[in-house]
Amino acid sequence: MPAYHSTFLVDPNNDRMVGNFAIMPLNTKYRGPAYPANSDYDIVDECLDLFRANSFFKNFEIKNQADRVLIYGILFINECLAHLKPNTSMNEAIKILTNVALDDFSLPGTPGFPLNAVYSVPIQDHNSMELLKSYIQQLRQELSMRLLNRLYADTQERPSKYWLGFTRRRFMNKSL
Amino acid sequence: MNLNPAVVMDNGTGLTKLGFAGNDSPSWIFPTAIATASPSGNKKTGSSATSSSVSGSGTNGSNGSSNPYFGNSTSATNFGGLTGGKMLLSNNLAGKRGTEDLDFYIGNEALVAAQSPSYSLSYPIRHGQVENWDHMERFWENSIFKYLRTEPEDHYFLLTEPPLNPPENREQVAEIFFESFNCAGLYIAVQAVLALAASWTSSKVIDRSLTGTVIDSGDGVTHVIPVAEGYVIGSAIKNIPIAGRDITEFIQSLLRERGEADTSLRTAERIKQEYCYVCPDIVKEFNKFDRQPEKFAQFIVESQEKTKQKVVDVGYERFLAPEIFFNPEIASSDYLTPLPTVVDQTIQACPIDVRKGLYNNIVLSGGSTMFKDFSRRLQRDMKSIVNARISQNEKMTGVKSSGVDVQVISHRKQRNAVWFGGSLLAQTAEFRGYCHTKRDYEEIGPEIVRNFSLFNVM
Repeated sequence: MPAYHSTFLVDPNNDRMVGNFAIMPLNTKYRGPAYPANSDYDIVDECLDLFRANSFFKNFEIKNQADRVLIYGILFINECLAHLKPNTSMNEAIKILTNVALDDFSLPGTPGFPLNAVYSVPIQDHNSMELLKSYIQQLRQELSMRLLNRLYADTQERPSKYWLGFTRRRFMNKSL
Repeated sequence: MNLNPAVVMDNGTGLTKLGFAGNDSPSWIFPTAIATASPSGNKKTGSSATSSSVSGSGTNGSNGSSNPYFGNSTSATNFGGLTGGKMLLSNNLAGKRGTEDLDFYIGNEALVAAQSPSYSLSYPIRHGQVENWDHMERFWENSIFKYLRTEPEDHYFLLTEPPLNPPENREQVAEIFFESFNCAGLYIAVQAVLALAASWTSSKVIDRSLTGTVIDSGDGVTHVIPVAEGYVIGSAIKNIPIAGRDITEFIQSLLRERGEADTSLRTAERIKQEYCYVCPDIVKEFNKFDRQPEKFAQFIVESQEKTKQKVVDVGYERFLAPEIFFNPEIASSDYLTPLPTVVDQTIQACPIDVRKGLYNNIVLSGGSTMFKDFSRRLQRDMKSIVNARISQNEKMTGVKSSGVDVQVISHRKQRNAVWFGGSLLAQTAEFRGYCHTKRDYEEIGPEIVRNFSLFNVM
């Protein structure tokens, strides 16, 4: 059994895309271009569910459009974990991760992004790139906050060490 | 004509199993290790001293032996929580002249002796085959006289050999057993065939055939061996470089990433033996751990003096560790083929008329196949590979297939399956008829052991 793939279906002809990066619906309070999802389970939940399993895999074959969003999500979770320490309390973690989510980040497809073989986006098209940037911003915010709920499910004092153990794993041998 | 039970000896790379035919478990299980007096006198080799010992329930197997050196072990590298500095049994003749070749220890005692600078440790069997015949002869000598305490001239012996063992090695074994030990009779059986015989105790087995695929996974390497009517199909044997030690090391790396209090190899080994199981799907299993926190376990490590305790939390490694058989990618970067795929390739490399029998009777053997639900997962994964091939074939040819029944057999004697199969066969009335006797040997010579007739299906 190879790594796990996204179960969401994206139709590149009808759904919103920027290049080959799908603008998938999200259940979120954060402002941004994403449409609300029609079910409770969205791509953010899927990223969190698959993160621990997929972290062990160095090879990942992209099977559908949603996989590209999944890759970004998993790599971002890893980045979040790297900013936490075993004794960070939930209140501190909220501040840290909010900053991480809002930090300046490089967009897929632009120079400086580690996985450009996977993503191809229209760099010249200013409007599309703005859409992509605000969507990824929204995704990062929502993902980091939902990650906190999982990390501090047992206690607010410190994050789950079982999750922090994955910090040094590198999905696809890459990190953001 | 003597009626003493035959002696069954299974010398593996890691552990040796010794006992008498008819018993349902070996009398002795100890590392296939020998400590000999080092000529230089101050060279230190072999296993390094371990500073803390692990304790818990049932430290040393189940035989309840009070003598630590004679206890049965499940590990090739430790000896039940004891370190050196204590007395050794009485054959220490180092003080006398001209008796250096009597000054050696085997098994757990060897591991203890090797901690002093005057002994050096060696493992006479490498990759299943005897590498050092002098050491092996002395190892057998001690096995017979010091552990089993029998007279070889009163017993028939059943020994085991790996598949594709060269006939010269068999001759060498015969020379040692007939000339040095003067044993009454000898039979050398292929380990995989004995493992098949051991599976007859399972209720799933109905016809007691000697056709099947043996998956033998010990500490160092995993073999997949097809056997048709008692003959090993040598050209199709496949090896997988994933076995017990890799699982232990993977657990250790997970413990280290989490920064647990004790991350020694022995702690990892104990966690492997006590907590690991095979799950149907790792993502679902991760979620199950989230919902049921009681699945997390704790393992307590005591220091040697039993004064300090360290608590090691056991988490996802419970199901991730055995997963490396089914998803090698999660632990290694250079070996990527899952076990079910290898088994399927092995069977596909065999003659077409035996394949159904091989799929039908996949038999597990060895300590690393003992994980809970190992057989279920293997059977499920094999079935999906086989069914995918059948449906593709049906689509291409348009002919309806009668289907292939995949069955993985798991049974209670799996850990020492090879030894148990030997015990089963050597207790039968026919056994002596299949052996070569001392008289045959003297009549014909060592080449007599190049051939043994196969046991008929009983």
